[in-house]
Amino acid sequence: MTQVATPPQAPESAARRNRRPTRYTRAIALFVAPFGVLFALFYLVPIVYAIVQSLYVVQRTGTYGPAREVFGGLAQYRLVFSDGPFWGSVGRMLAFGAVQVPVMLGLALALALLLDSGLVTGRRFFRLAFFVPYAVPGVVAAIMWGFLYSPNLSPLKPITSTVDLLSADTVLWSIANVVTWVYVGYNMLIIYSALMAIPTEMYEAAHLDGASRLRIAWSIKIPLVMPAIVLTTVFSIIGTLQLLAEPQVFRSFSSAVSSTYTPNMTVFSMSAIPNFNLAAAFSVVLALTTFVLSFAFLKTTQRRGMP
Amino acid sequence: MSAFLRTLGVLLTSAVAVTACSSPDASPGGTGAAACAPSGGGPVNLAFTSWVPGIEEVVQAWNAKNPDIQVKVQTGPNGNGGTYQNFFNQLKAGNAPDLGQIEYDALPGFRVQDGLLDIGSCDIVAQAKDQFLPWTWDQVSLGDAKAAYGVPQDTGPMALFYRADLFEKAGIAIPATWQEYAAAAEKVKAAGGHITNFSQSDINQFAGLAWQAGGHWFGNDGQKWTVSLTDDKTTKVAQYWQDLIDRKLVSSVPPWTAEWDNAYNTDQAWTWVSAVWGANSIATGAPKTAGKWRVAPMPQWDAGQASAGNWGGSSTAVFKTSKHPYEAAKFALWLNTSDEALTLLNQKANLYPATKAGANLPALASGVAFYGDQKIYEVFAKASTQVPSGFTWGPAMTATYANASDGFKAAVSGKGTLTDALTGAQAFTVQTLKNQAIPVA
Repeated sequence: MTQVATPPQAPESAARRNRRPTRYTRAIALFVAPFGVLFALFYLVPIVYAIVQSLYVVQRTGTYGPAREVFGGLAQYRLVFSDGPFWGSVGRMLAFGAVQVPVMLGLALALALLLDSGLVTGRRFFRLAFFVPYAVPGVVAAIMWGFLYSPNLSPLKPITSTVDLLSADTVLWSIANVVTWVYVGYNMLIIYSALMAIPTEMYEAAHLDGASRLRIAWSIKIPLVMPAIVLTTVFSIIGTLQLLAEPQVFRSFSSAVSSTYTPNMTVFSMSAIPNFNLAAAFSVVLALTTFVLSFAFLKTTQRRGMP
Repeated sequence: MSAFLRTLGVLLTSAVAVTACSSPDASPGGTGAAACAPSGGGPVNLAFTSWVPGIEEVVQAWNAKNPDIQVKVQTGPNGNGGTYQNFFNQLKAGNAPDLGQIEYDALPGFRVQDGLLDIGSCDIVAQAKDQFLPWTWDQVSLGDAKAAYGVPQDTGPMALFYRADLFEKAGIAIPATWQEYAAAAEKVKAAGGHITNFSQSDINQFAGLAWQAGGHWFGNDGQKWTVSLTDDKTTKVAQYWQDLIDRKLVSSVPPWTAEWDNAYNTDQAWTWVSAVWGANSIATGAPKTAGKWRVAPMPQWDAGQASAGNWGGSSTAVFKTSKHPYEAAKFALWLNTSDEALTLLNQKANLYPATKAGANLPALASGVAFYGDQKIYEVFAKASTQVPSGFTWGPAMTATYANASDGFKAAVSGKGTLTDALTGAQAFTVQTLKNQAIPVA
């Protein structure tokens, strides 16, 4: 990333230098404390708690015997790795991501370039208009689209009565459409702000060299916003594997969405049984999978020499 | 980055170690007879969660008369729709309400998770036992004569809701057997409707249908649970409905949705084999059809037989974490035995009482306007005496229902059959019990 040259500092007396760090530590601690406390409470502690939970198994005697939690090592993880539907749902989400993420980011990039090109009038209006779906809560968006897809309730009845958008073959892509609709504007905004940061001298130089608008977009803009695109891709990979709200809402619209349709839904229904220990093991494995995939993506893009 | 990861790793492992050391030992087993005495000193506040429509007004009636025991009611989605999951989470977190509505089929699950207080030791509860229909008391005592893990509230005897006007117009006789029902389905289809909507995610409705046919899903001999979701009777019922689905004689929109209400509101679905409380669901979901519905006994497997299924029925249970079991039990008894509460529950939610005297409530003897002033409770009163006894619920119905429902949903969208779904649910249920060390044969 860009290195910002620090301005040379005025020489300081040894006494001041000694006092300064202590004063700074307090200030730093003060400023970091609110974040640190919340981060520990709502991030680290739950993760640790989930890991601890996942290492326990239940023992009992008799048909109504009370449960005793005992340390079970990796017993829950053995169940996770032998769970067919769970890995099926991971595969489903990978297929979903392989199609939806490029489509969504392609659209976001195209819209960002269009806004940045100066070809459109009312740039501020469109920037806001594209972003508005992101302001709609995901559950509300899913309900809205669910009604649009419903064969008998949809205002688009000519379409929904010929193509069943909620059948087993199509519902995954119907959900992909909802997710794309919600997140295109958000990703566009990230890429667009990266475009705004490109110094205009580069465009002038390219102009002088006789480059067309398309050429500038392809050879200057896209390479320079690549870090933003990589970032949005990582966010999207994480978001895809953790999909929950949209498919959960779609369960009441489509019979093709099972209670274990996405990995997070498996966690959710496992905790509903309730089998909290196994649900914790599922979440830990899901988090690790997401972690590995995100880092694998970052590593491959870096190895290819991208900035 | 790797330095950061290493630090994070160290942090996490040390935190694990600390938490593991400090994690409390499992609480000693054995429920032990909880002291059930009035809590002295000052007014008592109780929290109560329920999804019965209009429950707020019933509780208001209690609060007005009992300044010393004030109940705060919280409503939520129906049990399997989310409230049970909330209960389990609250129990785990130690902040469950004092009282909760729990259907009979979910009580064993809550008992296995050690979430319920046995209020059978409360003298007021023991004295009230004889007021209830014996089979409803069996549902809350769970095989221990002296125990009560809840106070029975209502029952869900099933019958056939049908559109009298449409049947008459099409000249179709009201089916008295399942064979006639299938034949009528063809005629309804020819007339442009569906005889009913097959409720893919209401496995407890299907349980009621299997119950009527004589199916048994679970057994508990004190040593081990047995699971038999694929017994002969249940398989017969599954094959019957699979045939109707295959011939597209029934619709299959997801239940309890706007789409579903729409099917009933616009004459697309002509009947519903449902429980007594379903009277309320039709009236609120399909207001345009007021006055056109009637109720007849459930179709039979053999002509001349008289057997009915049961779908739902709830109890009011006291959670283990309650500090006021006596007051909670007192409220639960009032809610489910007093004429005032039972009448209100019937008027607001069409609940059918679980008490013997409840059948004689004046409210149950009058006609219901939505059903063309038919005295519908007479049909249900008869049905409630025709429910086969000895149907036992399993200890993890949430899991059984979720898995069977996934299979049923797949079946109506053309993948597999209802029988396949039951076979899958059987295996999944056994696995779920084993995962939680619940002994299963």
